[in-house]
Amino acid sequence: MTRYQGTRLALTQRQAAAILLLPFLTVYAVFLVYPFFKGVWISLHDWNLMAVAFNPDAKSYVGLSNYERVMWGSNITWGAWASPGYQFFGLLGLGTSVLLYRTGRAGKVTALAIGIASLLLFVLPGFHPGEDGRWYDRRFWPTVGNTILFVGLAVPGVTITAMLLAAALDGETRAKAVLRTLFFLSQVLSVTVVTLIWQIMFSPRQGLIANVTELVGGSPIVWLTAEGFAMASIVIATIWWSLGIAMILFLAGIQDISKDLYEAGALDNATGAKAFWYITLPNLKRTITLVVVLQIILHFQVFGQSHLMTNGGPNDTTQVLVRYIYQTAFRDSELGRASAMAVFLFVIMGGFSILQFVLGREKDQ
Amino acid sequence: MTRGYYWLIFGLSIPAFIWLVPTIWMVSLSFQPNDLLARTTSSTALGLIPFPFTPDNYIALFRFGQVPMWFLNSLIVSVGMTLAVLAVSTTAGYALARLDFPFKTPIIILCLMGLMVPEQAVFIPLYTMFSDWGWHNSHHALILPRVAVPIGVFLMMQFFKAIPKDIEEAARIDGVGWLQIFWYVMLPLARPAMMTLAILTFLYAWNDYLWPLVSAQQREYFTITLGLASIQSNFAQAEGLGRVMASGVIASLPVVVLFLIFQRYVVRAMTAGGTKG
Repeated sequence: MTRYQGTRLALTQRQAAAILLLPFLTVYAVFLVYPFFKGVWISLHDWNLMAVAFNPDAKSYVGLSNYERVMWGSNITWGAWASPGYQFFGLLGLGTSVLLYRTGRAGKVTALAIGIASLLLFVLPGFHPGEDGRWYDRRFWPTVGNTILFVGLAVPGVTITAMLLAAALDGETRAKAVLRTLFFLSQVLSVTVVTLIWQIMFSPRQGLIANVTELVGGSPIVWLTAEGFAMASIVIATIWWSLGIAMILFLAGIQDISKDLYEAGALDNATGAKAFWYITLPNLKRTITLVVVLQIILHFQVFGQSHLMTNGGPNDTTQVLVRYIYQTAFRDSELGRASAMAVFLFVIMGGFSILQFVLGREKDQ
Repeated sequence: MTRGYYWLIFGLSIPAFIWLVPTIWMVSLSFQPNDLLARTTSSTALGLIPFPFTPDNYIALFRFGQVPMWFLNSLIVSVGMTLAVLAVSTTAGYALARLDFPFKTPIIILCLMGLMVPEQAVFIPLYTMFSDWGWHNSHHALILPRVAVPIGVFLMMQFFKAIPKDIEEAARIDGVGWLQIFWYVMLPLARPAMMTLAILTFLYAWNDYLWPLVSAQQREYFTITLGLASIQSNFAQAEGLGRVMASGVIASLPVVVLFLIFQRYVVRAMTAGGTKG
């Protein structure tokens, strides 16, 4: 122990802790905590990016009116059947959560989470402008709707594909390891590479998909600029991109299932698809919930796919929340309104993060 | 190996190949001449085989254009961010896991709350702060915001918590100071966790798009990820499809190589980042 001799400083535990913590806490305070509160503060102001850049006093305190201008309108009323599509799913979700809880197929937290989400899905779309009324910001709620639609398509797509692949690729053989690598590979690419590849894949003139359709005699689809297909295109690109992590999480979940269960199942003739349905699936409940929540958090923040592949179009059908925030702030220079939307985003993401945390805790116990 | 097993592998090879097709296509297009690509992208086997073959796109990329500079920027930002994150995360993680001091629990809770704040919720205020300080269009502006994200602290904290206490206690009895224990005893033990965190951070830095888009307005400070976005919207006219695809390949090369070499760490890093960040 001679090499320690010369460096013996009589630091107390507190002093050592202070020295070790100081670098992180400084950076954390300056670049995360302070900006967070500053964001809330900006959202309470009429704050034009250009004007304030030239004259710091060009902002004015407006209270909550940015939130009102973004989320509210004149003569807004509520009806239980104003937006049947969403509200139907809301009611359906409410029913499902009660049913799942009653039959013991889902834990308390999961059921409660589904219940709250469904309730919001039932209540929120019920608001609509009454006679002579209008939304102050016509684009905000449709943008939120698009984001939810994107999440609603991408999350089940990724989850189901990843789960099936994980079930098929679980095992120690070399061939399976290679296949796992192939399916995971696209996950490490950046969003701009992914959009580059898929923009050209989908291109009606040069695209591989168009080339294949032409080969079999069909006429090419203008994927990225046709209203019905644009959202589908960015969802497909997203599933291709983000399958890997979900697959790995499912593989870990499957490995936690006791092998005895499968051996017992095999005695009852439950192998292959049957074993998957009766043994794997019920034992993966926790993993499924975890993967779904993670994917919701991840995909709610979608930006690059919409920004680069479709420019939010056609006709705003792929405009998503983060892109709207970005444009409001940096194209329209309206930092106040953009910050109000960012706070809205934070509230939603924060809700899901808490859910994720609670679920993680449950798992530890 | 049963017959069913081989059928399974065979059956899965087809979707695996389809999964790989977009990537193969990008690589293949990057090796075909631009004037050919302007006419057709499916000259040989739907364009999946680069014939006629040419390395011209890559040569042009390194002769003209800004791709090498962007690549260098990405390298500086990613390595810088990785080192900074490792430095603050190992120190803070050790202190929070092993040392006793006042206000420890509130500090941990405060840091945990930081995990809830998404990048998109702070990028506007960060933009105004960095504008006030004249920090935009610099490497440190691209590095610092991510260093404040507490995920690394939690990864390291969990790791240090799992190390048996007697190693530390033995050193304490010998009269070794806390900082020396951290440096000489704990850090060497923490190498696997640091490796995971380093890869997680590097991948994030290399692939980040939103913050560089906001902060780096001058093309000289673009990262390769951002630069690629700037040339892909008008790929056909300006640079030629082949060259844009070659840029895409160059932009992906470091992360793909990293993945193929350190596959296990990358998978672990990305799942850790996914589950906790």
